[in-house]
Amino acid sequence: MGYTIAEKILARVSEKETVCAGDEVLAKPDFVIAYDFPGYTDVIFKQMEEDFGIDKVAEPDRYALFIDHMVPATTTQEEEMHQLTRDWGAKNNVPVYERMGIGHQVAAELGYATPGAFVVHFDGHISQLGTFGALAIGVRRHLLEAFVKERIKFKVPETTRIDLTGTLQLGVTARDVFHHIVRVLGPRGCRGHVLELGGDTIDNMSLEGRQSITCLAMFTGAITAVINPDKKALAYIKDRARIVIDPLFSDSDAKYASRHEIDVSALEPIVVVPPSPADTRDISEVAGTEVHVGYLGSCASGRVEDLELAADVLEGHKVKAGFQLNVIPTSQEIMKIAAEKGIITRLINAGAFISSSSCDYCFGRIGVMRAGQRAVSTGTLNVRGRMGSPDSEIYIVNAAAVAAAAIEGRITDPRPYLKR
Amino acid sequence: MGLNNLRGRVAWIFKDENFDVDQIVGVKNIKIKDPAELGKLVLQAEDREFAQSVKPGDLLIGNHNFGYGHPHYPPMIGMRYLGISGVLAESFSPGYWRGEVAMGFPQVTCPGILQVVSRWDEIEVDWGTNKFRNLTTGVNLPIEPLSNGDSQMLEAGGLVGYLHARDNEEAVK
Repeated sequence: MGYTIAEKILARVSEKETVCAGDEVLAKPDFVIAYDFPGYTDVIFKQMEEDFGIDKVAEPDRYALFIDHMVPATTTQEEEMHQLTRDWGAKNNVPVYERMGIGHQVAAELGYATPGAFVVHFDGHISQLGTFGALAIGVRRHLLEAFVKERIKFKVPETTRIDLTGTLQLGVTARDVFHHIVRVLGPRGCRGHVLELGGDTIDNMSLEGRQSITCLAMFTGAITAVINPDKKALAYIKDRARIVIDPLFSDSDAKYASRHEIDVSALEPIVVVPPSPADTRDISEVAGTEVHVGYLGSCASGRVEDLELAADVLEGHKVKAGFQLNVIPTSQEIMKIAAEKGIITRLINAGAFISSSSCDYCFGRIGVMRAGQRAVSTGTLNVRGRMGSPDSEIYIVNAAAVAAAAIEGRITDPRPYLKR
Repeated sequence: MGLNNLRGRVAWIFKDENFDVDQIVGVKNIKIKDPAELGKLVLQAEDREFAQSVKPGDLLIGNHNFGYGHPHYPPMIGMRYLGISGVLAESFSPGYWRGEVAMGFPQVTCPGILQVVSRWDEIEVDWGTNKFRNLTTGVNLPIEPLSNGDSQMLEAGGLVGYLHARDNEEAVK
């Protein structure tokens, strides 16, 4: 009998020969990651000391902290929060990475996405490390367990396998593929499972595209997503990996809860209509909706190919007067590549407002909307009030559609802008 | 020692699938931390008398994938302040489940529940036999057993108690 990559990773970190879906194991995460955020890291640091009498973590190399929210700080309280994190990191010899970009992306750049690794965070979007064959899971407040214990109790999840086939049309991106998966399987199609992705569409997709898809796994109900590491993933991680693990792969006779094959060749750009991350429509259904703000960025999108696609759409056009187009590259490394390739200049020439990397646009800390405003966004989520007033609205689209909406001030199919 | 059975009235039925719990207090109130204030706010848009009509022990009922979206803690902090002792649903969103179980708040998966309860029915969850009972109508349904980890966490009143219990367990070994 064969095993899934998720089962093999959990067997490895619980020091067992094999484990199967449904087993409860005590698993030692290879990496424990968090970004500083009120109610999470500050509470964990306090509980460690006050409730458990632990003043230092035992193996600091297993831990990583990111300062990517509230960057740059706008209140003294925020800067005090960051200082608390820096001080805790210094005391514990735990690295604190700040002003480098969104942690989930920077974690990959820094080699925490080692194929075969088990990674925990409180935030579910860490699932995107699955792009590189790691099993990365957001456990919310359970993260405390990984700070006070070597091992966390974990129930081995079932795996749903999706094979994607076909070539995407120009102007249709990995973002659309993900939202199409939600449309096909429904918002609880993978509830509690690992979403394992494969097929020729994934094989031919860039790592950046795969990161977009694995980042959003939670909206299928999955606890994470994973892709068996291929040459592309292994090459990316080769000089970055922080630990040496033999990569693990699902067996051909692995046992899946279910398997699906989804053809994406006829897919058109998708719009996820507020206020539900599951209300998925073809762009033709909502074209013409007036929008006032565009956000291109986030841990799901905002990578080099997203920026380049938006620049292609905007080529020879200008952002409509009064429309606010905010472009925030996902990391400083991405910003640098985009600058070197001239993409940033092209975006600025078209009228985009470019900010340094930060999580803050995505959750409405900056660039907020007033009541009545509508955004097109590549952010992670479109729930009410996410980007400002509870009476503003967020339409989730791909990077090309953000750019096309910025030109016209309304939701529109970006594909005609890419045909030259 | 086992988990205490839950017994109370059906205080509210959330009929929507994929219910976003933030709606219970409204997004504009999601940053409030005071339990008493949250207790006054829960379900105010649906039932202005809700806070006054709830008794300690009362329970909430949900549909499939309860807690989907981007759940925050304040709505259920408000519910617990009023004495709500748990949630039974057709199924739960994993992130919501994990968060609330860490708070020591019982969550019960009970397929078919929505068809067999009405508001204010007296109901019971028996962890020993993994049974749901509607004491008003006499209907019984099986519930999905908790994992050992979740069961221990609820028994310990939440994550911190659970980790202390593990300290003791590991010390004995």
